[in-house]
Amino acid sequence: MTKEERLKKRHKAEKRFRFYGLASIFFALLFVLILVNNIFSKGSSAFMKTAINVEVFFDPELIEIQNGATSDEILEADFYDIAIETLLKVYPAKTLDEENALIDLFTTDAEIEIKRVFLEDNTLIGKKINLDITASDDIDQLHKGNYPRDLPEDRRRISNFQLKIYDNLVENKKIIKNFNNYFFSNGDSRDPELAGIGGALVGSFYSIIICLLLAFPVAVLASIYLEEFAPKNKITDFIEININNLAAVPSIVYGLLALQILLATIQLPRSTPLVAGITLALMTLPRIIIPCRASLKAVPPSIREGALAIGASKFQSVFHHVVPLALPGTLSGTIIGLAQALGETAPLILIGMVAFVVDIPSTPIDPSSSLPVQVYLWSESAERGFVEKTSATIMMLLSFLIVMNFVAVYLRQKFEKRWN
Amino acid sequence: MSDIKIKSKNLNVYYGDKQALFDVNLELNEKEVTALIGPSGCGKSTFIRCINRMNDVIDICKVEGNIEIDGIEVNDKELDVVSLRERVGMVFQKPNPFPKSIYDNISYGPKIHGKGETKSELDEIVERSLKKAALWEEVKDRLDEPGTGLSGGQQQRLCIARAISVNPEVILMDEPCSALDPIATAKIEELIDELKKTYTIVIVTHSMAQAVRVSQKTGFFHLGKLIEVGKTEKIFKNPDNKMTQDYITGRFG
Repeated sequence: MTKEERLKKRHKAEKRFRFYGLASIFFALLFVLILVNNIFSKGSSAFMKTAINVEVFFDPELIEIQNGATSDEILEADFYDIAIETLLKVYPAKTLDEENALIDLFTTDAEIEIKRVFLEDNTLIGKKINLDITASDDIDQLHKGNYPRDLPEDRRRISNFQLKIYDNLVENKKIIKNFNNYFFSNGDSRDPELAGIGGALVGSFYSIIICLLLAFPVAVLASIYLEEFAPKNKITDFIEININNLAAVPSIVYGLLALQILLATIQLPRSTPLVAGITLALMTLPRIIIPCRASLKAVPPSIREGALAIGASKFQSVFHHVVPLALPGTLSGTIIGLAQALGETAPLILIGMVAFVVDIPSTPIDPSSSLPVQVYLWSESAERGFVEKTSATIMMLLSFLIVMNFVAVYLRQKFEKRWN
Repeated sequence: MSDIKIKSKNLNVYYGDKQALFDVNLELNEKEVTALIGPSGCGKSTFIRCINRMNDVIDICKVEGNIEIDGIEVNDKELDVVSLRERVGMVFQKPNPFPKSIYDNISYGPKIHGKGETKSELDEIVERSLKKAALWEEVKDRLDEPGTGLSGGQQQRLCIARAISVNPEVILMDEPCSALDPIATAKIEELIDELKKTYTIVIVTHSMAQAVRVSQKTGFFHLGKLIEVGKTEKIFKNPDNKMTQDYITGRFG
């Protein structure tokens, strides 16, 4: 081969490599794009909800309380008759079946929504107001265009009569879309139009905080001891290998462990963020120790020697010089470990977080759900309304993860000090 | 003849199975510069690291024999290394300032040894140390800037200032100029000349010229053995040992 040919070959090899590299990046981005597109197209509609504008008449004959009632009285009072009267006025229904079909167009919480208005203004008795009442899941999905109208009636959840009412409402501009506050403030519900991630958010938050409080100090102290103080011998080698093994243990195994020890033996309350946090901490521990040790290892030995040589004790050289330098890496490793814990589902299912919990937990020892488990729960539900809720929850989960990863990168870049 | 400050007797050092020093007997005089020369891996650095027990940090390193400073045994397990290193400062091959401000680099030592109680005392120590290291004029207006932002030669003088900030008796220098350009090297050499009035200095160097310029006494190491030691003049002009002769004339090493 001549010199020119060899040179040509070399250039070709480089070009080929560049092409392969670009192709790989293209493929990776393509998959991300497909994923994001899929989730967004399905989930973005969950942030809006459909409501029907109705006229509510607070008929003094249908309710036992007076204007100026205290909130306790209002909460006790029965608004059922007012609610039914209000809904029936929307469209003339002739038979009992038609009346029921009409009422089914609204959320089962219509009475509560009316009551809530009265709670804010207790002088409404005898007055008429216009109110947007949340529509039922079926109307919601129909209005968002997720529901096929052209199926034969016996295979549809919405009857022809209901469709007629819907079309009439649309024509009269009585159907509106507004921001779905229920999605953020409500707990889980059997009715998709009322279901929200409020409980899951709080549950996830408590779990992650407990996980952080347990895992971070233990992991940091373990890393510092192993990296800086422990003698290098067979025992520490063995420990090191096992920490790496622990990081690779499937998370469901930690769930089984928690089930056996935390729930069966210690008898901590089931389905609670407390147990979830402890379980996630066990799982996250090795995942924090590894990056923490790596960042301690990355501090050049000359810094340690410099400190030791002017008479700093081992402890002083480690805590005055090495640890501050390793801190950015440690923090970002911790955040990434927590982000993994936030998205963990399997162990939480085992410790009972998969239970159907309607209330938003007020303490870490109340039963609760968590974001990824909520995704799992809703993805199994048959109702159409849960499809968009599932995707919207994934969007929330992903945005938390992205924010956490950004914080990790930011911390590393901001506080990383350069040394030679 | 000055007083003997440091004295090693039958010093043997092992790194695991490998022996790095063989029965080194060496006497270093007070307020004098002793240069240690020899080819790479001959044990010069190992020897000076025995003086302030820096070899303790290496797990597999084992030191046998005696080293005395002012008649006090260094290898005594009861001896507190912290106070030993307060008396024996060290400057490394590569400048290793802490990634902190120039001020903090100098004040760290006095602080941990409780030598500067107040801010003004510390200020004074920082100024005195930097002046002694001939760095004061260059950095006096930017003491709060990071020490790592200085040039290589300035960093090395900062490290020297850091070493003398705790007022040691001995300063060990492990090839302090090997990472520096000739001008920075000349400054450090001038500085060493000045420092020897106050401190006992041991310098490891690969440059014969440097050994001739800065030292009064020279020891030649080869393969872990101290081959020859004597007045610098004599070693370089008229060595007793054939190997020393070969090394300084550049025939090996």
